[in-house]
Amino acid sequence: MGKWNVYRRPLPRTRFQVIWHIEMQSNEGVLSGIKVLDLSQGVAGPFCAKFLAGLGAEVIKVEPAGGDPARRARPFFGDSDNLESSALFAYLNTSKKGVTLDLDVPGQARSLKELAQDSDILVESFAPGYLDSLGLGYDDLSETNPGLIHVSVTPFGQAGPYRGYKGSDIVAQAMGALMYTIGLPDREPLKVGGESALYATGISAFSAAMLALHIRDTQGFGQHVDISAMDVMTVAQIHSSINEQFGHIPVRRPTNLVRAKDGWVSPGLESGVQQGTWPKICELMGVPELAEDDRFTTQEARRTNQQALLEVVGSWAATMPKEEIYHTLQSLRTITGYVATVEDLLVSKQYAEREFFRTLADPVYGDVVHPGPPFRMDDDGWQLFPAPRLGEHNEEILGGA
Amino acid sequence: MAATPKKDLALHGLRVLDLSQVAAGPYATMFFGYMGAEVIKLESRFRMDINRGRARPGLNDPRVYPGGVQGERPYDRTAHHVHRNINKLSVTLNLAEPKGKELFLGLIKVCDVLVENYRSSVMDRLGLGYDSVSRANPQLIYLKISSQGATGPEANYGSLGSTLEQTAGLASITGYEDGLPLMTNEVYPDPVVGILSFGALMAALRRRRQTGRGCLVDLSQREVTSMLLGESVLDFSVTGRIAATMGNKHRDIAPQGVYSCLGEDMWVAVSAGTDDEWLGLCRAMGRHELAGDPRFKDTGSRQANHDALDEIISSWTRGLDHYQAMHLLQAEGVPAGAVLKGSETIIDPHIEARGFWDVVDHPEAGIYKQTTTPWILSKSPRQPTVPAAGLGEHNYQVLGGLLGLSISEIDTLVEQGITGDVPDPSA
Repeated sequence: MGKWNVYRRPLPRTRFQVIWHIEMQSNEGVLSGIKVLDLSQGVAGPFCAKFLAGLGAEVIKVEPAGGDPARRARPFFGDSDNLESSALFAYLNTSKKGVTLDLDVPGQARSLKELAQDSDILVESFAPGYLDSLGLGYDDLSETNPGLIHVSVTPFGQAGPYRGYKGSDIVAQAMGALMYTIGLPDREPLKVGGESALYATGISAFSAAMLALHIRDTQGFGQHVDISAMDVMTVAQIHSSINEQFGHIPVRRPTNLVRAKDGWVSPGLESGVQQGTWPKICELMGVPELAEDDRFTTQEARRTNQQALLEVVGSWAATMPKEEIYHTLQSLRTITGYVATVEDLLVSKQYAEREFFRTLADPVYGDVVHPGPPFRMDDDGWQLFPAPRLGEHNEEILGGA
Repeated sequence: MAATPKKDLALHGLRVLDLSQVAAGPYATMFFGYMGAEVIKLESRFRMDINRGRARPGLNDPRVYPGGVQGERPYDRTAHHVHRNINKLSVTLNLAEPKGKELFLGLIKVCDVLVENYRSSVMDRLGLGYDSVSRANPQLIYLKISSQGATGPEANYGSLGSTLEQTAGLASITGYEDGLPLMTNEVYPDPVVGILSFGALMAALRRRRQTGRGCLVDLSQREVTSMLLGESVLDFSVTGRIAATMGNKHRDIAPQGVYSCLGEDMWVAVSAGTDDEWLGLCRAMGRHELAGDPRFKDTGSRQANHDALDEIISSWTRGLDHYQAMHLLQAEGVPAGAVLKGSETIIDPHIEARGFWDVVDHPEAGIYKQTTTPWILSKSPRQPTVPAAGLGEHNYQVLGGLLGLSISEIDTLVEQGITGDVPDPSA
């Protein structure tokens, strides 16, 4: 067992690739030369524009003078009154330049229109119809910039009876039937934690923007992309709609986690386990006699007798660290999991070897660790520099205007 | 949906060879099909896509068959196969045999994209890893979706959607307030990765236009899933705070939760984050006096008195249908949504009006409503759903049409078990 010690914390911070400051690398990345105007606020739209920035696009984030509300969202690195202290904002807006413009002010709306004339992609998250009311809708902007890809990211989309309805992460999870089957049988439906629905919505907007860019590259026209969080969640709900139509009603189910010494694991013995593995696991757990026990000898039997199985495995697991269980049972080719906390992620040897985490230096808060590229294409870089301070690039981009 | 001529579809002319199985990969290639690409789903008679289930399932097989009936070709009828393998041609080849490998490399030469999500080492072990396929077709884009990525000490570990939620940290922030981590029954990382994979491939195709060369796209499902809790990673790295479960509550929005409605297991989700939304909630409930209640005067005090608020809101929602509660709240500007079941989403008037569902008549499974795309493009419509194909249904069309094999040559391959439309009994 000693061989797993190598996975134990702490790994020195220096294992992460530290990036102190990076200039715009306009000659690198698959989106180099692509200009993105990011008018979006909150989570979903900014996450989309972050991905475009990561692939090398030049992204200008436009905020109202008071800032994107995400600047006031927890968790904070420090003082909650400081508009540069939100971890959420810092994460969602990396690799963008930032300007402030109030679109309700005519002169500033004109500046925005000029920026849009020069843009390839525009990302926005306003209530449907708002930009049109200012003369800044897709029809207005595409008149003089027909190649523009205008990505609208909203709770319910640009069309349909709920288009004017307001949303949130939990509302999207509810309406897409994602959350109805999450949680325990005797409790209320439970949402996936964090801002997961909004992140998935942002990812959908990213993929759709890349699709629209592909079409512009190959067919020569821009268009309006409509992303609805409810649509996205209905796509993300991959069992309920089909299973119910086929006569099987999905319900909330008990958990299959068992307690380890320092957290939780799922032993994963109910599927994907080769014949012959079970006796080895019984040996490992110090209960060789169970190798012949009819309740557990096949995957199907183990599924049927899951509660009894969890008790057997649970009494073994309770004395062992979760990551040791994970590595040990994975080495026997079972599909085992352990519940990692954010602390565990930062010392994961797998993540360290792949340099998934990158550190950016913040002048006030020091080293800030960011999850890295969402995918890799050969040696292509992932552009990463800190989110803009409010209005940081007003002078550079808006000049004296 | 009005049919668009094939040649006008966005991805017309692109050809995808799809070795992927379960959910993440099949979702990505399903979107390719919707946008007009030709997708060839390649399986083996000895090892079908897990979505299809067993060749001869037992009576207790946990998979879902339409009406509970397995039928003569159960592997063409399972819910997951019917739902995820739409818009694809079905071909079988035994990649363990030299002849199967040869034909596979033949297909590689005429495809733009290869997608697979086996355990990380499987393709290399078959001698069909990136080096081999890129030698056969230097312009090929190879999307390798794996549990942990193509490299690293855990590269060959297996995973399910539910274990990815654990190892990526998502489960640590999903759960009721008692701290017990929970996973989604919807294997959330799979569709999310499927959607992202589509964008990654669009990026790789653009790169190919720039460089003239294909590439390997290395996508780790675990990494993508960790990106769904990025703010908590940043926060920990600065403050040492470890994000935990918080039920349906939100760091900045109070009240937020699901509230019981009329009927069994019916709920409405509410999140009133701003003062305006709180006042709207008071109006919707007809409880104007609460607007001046000091317990609820700002987000902080509403957070502190969340339990009392939950009781007040529940006592109102309990007498309402979940849709009715949603409409009353939204009319007052409060973000709210009925907690829908799958059977309710397929008749919801809003996404129906958006044209989200396709009505499909599957030859084996009958008529059902199909999930489509998470985007609507104003000038580039998707194609109508093509029902999921039976195993090996397009063997002759693809091996004949793309590789130039004669009918008798393909007949011989069937006799040798290299291809065919009936799975090996062991599968």
